Amino acid sequence: MALALGRAIQEGRNLLEPEAYELLASYGVSVPPHKLVSSAEEAEAAATEIGYPVVTKIVSPDILHKTEAGGVLLNLNDAASVKAAYGQITEHARQGKAAVRGVLISRMAPPGTEVIVGLTQDLQFGPVMMFGLGGIFVEVYQDVSFRLIPLAERDAAAMIHEIKAFPLLQGVRGKKPADLKALTHLLLKVSQIAQENPEISEMDLNPVLVYEKGLSVVDARVLLHQRAPTA
Amino acid sequence: MPSPFPSFKSKEALQALFRPSSVAVIGASTAPEKLGYQIFKNLLDAGFPGKVHPINPKAPEILGCPCYSNIDAVPDQVDLAVIIIPAPLVADTIRRCGGRGVKGAIVISGGFSETGPEGEVMQEQLVEAAQESKMAVIGPNCQGVNNPHHPLCASWPLLTRRGPVAVISQSGTVGAALMDWASQEELGVSTFVSLGNRADVDEADLIHYFAQDPNTETIAIYMEGVKVAPKFLEAVRQCQKPLVILKAGRTPKGRKAAESHTRSLAGRDEVYEGVFRQFSVHRANDLEQLYDFSKALSYLPRLKGPRLLIVTSSGGSAILATDVAEMTGLDVASLPDQVAQRLREVLPKHCIVGNPLDLTGDATAQMYRQVVEAAASHFDAIALIFGDPIPGASEVVGRDPLQLVIYLGGAEVERQERLLFHRKGIPVFPTPERGIQALSHLL
Repeated sequence: MALALGRAIQEGRNLLEPEAYELLASYGVSVPPHKLVSSAEEAEAAATEIGYPVVTKIVSPDILHKTEAGGVLLNLNDAASVKAAYGQITEHARQGKAAVRGVLISRMAPPGTEVIVGLTQDLQFGPVMMFGLGGIFVEVYQDVSFRLIPLAERDAAAMIHEIKAFPLLQGVRGKKPADLKALTHLLLKVSQIAQENPEISEMDLNPVLVYEKGLSVVDARVLLHQRAPTA
Repeated sequence: MPSPFPSFKSKEALQALFRPSSVAVIGASTAPEKLGYQIFKNLLDAGFPGKVHPINPKAPEILGCPCYSNIDAVPDQVDLAVIIIPAPLVADTIRRCGGRGVKGAIVISGGFSETGPEGEVMQEQLVEAAQESKMAVIGPNCQGVNNPHHPLCASWPLLTRRGPVAVISQSGTVGAALMDWASQEELGVSTFVSLGNRADVDEADLIHYFAQDPNTETIAIYMEGVKVAPKFLEAVRQCQKPLVILKAGRTPKGRKAAESHTRSLAGRDEVYEGVFRQFSVHRANDLEQLYDFSKALSYLPRLKGPRLLIVTSSGGSAILATDVAEMTGLDVASLPDQVAQRLREVLPKHCIVGNPLDLTGDATAQMYRQVVEAAASHFDAIALIFGDPIPGASEVVGRDPLQLVIYLGGAEVERQERLLFHRKGIPVFPTPERGIQALSHLL
């Protein structure tokens, strides 16, 4: 079991974002370069090490939806704005009475085609995987595909092909086609993670940016089945 | 991780329900308007090969058969009890049947979990009684079982046509309608099972059973939700026969209606969609598709590829067919030059030689034969649309390559030809869209 998962189970909480990154990375899923910091000075040093532009995100077991809680600032290009961002989002969290575990500094991923990869619990079938294109495609058109885990490779490929927005992944209006092989691989990895770690109840990789070559999981949420914390 | 689930009902247990040697109808009636009369009469009229005992404490005889006051009074061994008595009496009756060595029961009576908490308690008692007596029970709240191959018509209406499709339905009427259509077309079913509330026997048990039933080629299911998901998935995984499922309750309000109908948890429709695709289940979107897909999968071979030639006497029908073909992954590929050349030599000048190939309104059965002969080796399937009264159509259709027959607009000639086709085991579809849609499921 990934270390991060063990810690969260021990403490009876969901995974913090750096832990979700750690879990994904331990399965070979590519996540942006990142560092957890706990002061404005550390934030600046981390940004220099990682390279600009960067993103700052609040890390708190009490905050599930970071953007809505004012816990995310994107596309920061210099030391001054990183320091300011650190102050702003930690202050925001404290006002909301959330326990702050630090701030995650990560490399701002270049734009790509946004997709969502998720794991949810179905009332009857148990853990099911979901795939869809980011933004309005999932929210407005509910253009998503589902499969039970474990996924076979052909299931993963079919999930990608059967959404209505699939042509957007093949490249339209001069856009290059997205790396479908990398995407298939990601779906299989998430299936494997869920299969090997039944403590996980939900995963939400949203968005995942898919490029002409490769992809990057920009935001990851991993929830565990509710249970009493173990002593 | 495979979750533990209740094991499948054994073949022996279910055979008591589908191939019993003797039957008792508990709640048989002398009143023709009552189900207790109709079911008893249907058992006799369908020609059940063993003894059928009516049980009713108030009647001396029904339809000439001596009536018994209860199951203990029947002198012979009874395999199957068909129960049509008020819900509060059912659990005890099952226990008594068990004591007499009865192996299975079909509970027609309603008034159980579908009616509320009190009914739910009675249903639990029914299940307990069945388990104690080691009996397999279908229902309650169902329309019974009809196995024309036995024949056993413990259901209504009286239908006796034998065929290759097992019809399993959570709704009695929906299943009976399917069986009625098949009967009218002289196709028939292998067995019809109305599941009702699925207190004991469920769809997974039946998929498992009919997957091994020699009379069944295809399994057609109407459901509002699976009962035990891991058991259902295991049955589907093991089933080597085509499985066609119409799952109702796709919208939030439809789901709610399903809950009150048979207490089914319908679950999210998109998840069902994914599961059906994952396990190669043919999903029907409506009752006609459930019928059509089962018919195509039972009587026609699988397609080796998507190349389809459409031959027609009706231009409009061919366009409708082409649209559906293109939307469902079939390829209305162009006619090879040498085939086109050859056909221009043998067909009348006014025929439009292409794909679709339009023989026009004065087409004869012979012309269809000429086209099939010339084009056979170039296509995976040929759709033959008879769009006029074309006599002798059933004489010219063969099986290689796959020939899909669509017949419409032919009035009396069409009706005669359709039956002739069906007697030869060649299915006929009533519209271009329905035919091509069904064909796409053979890909």
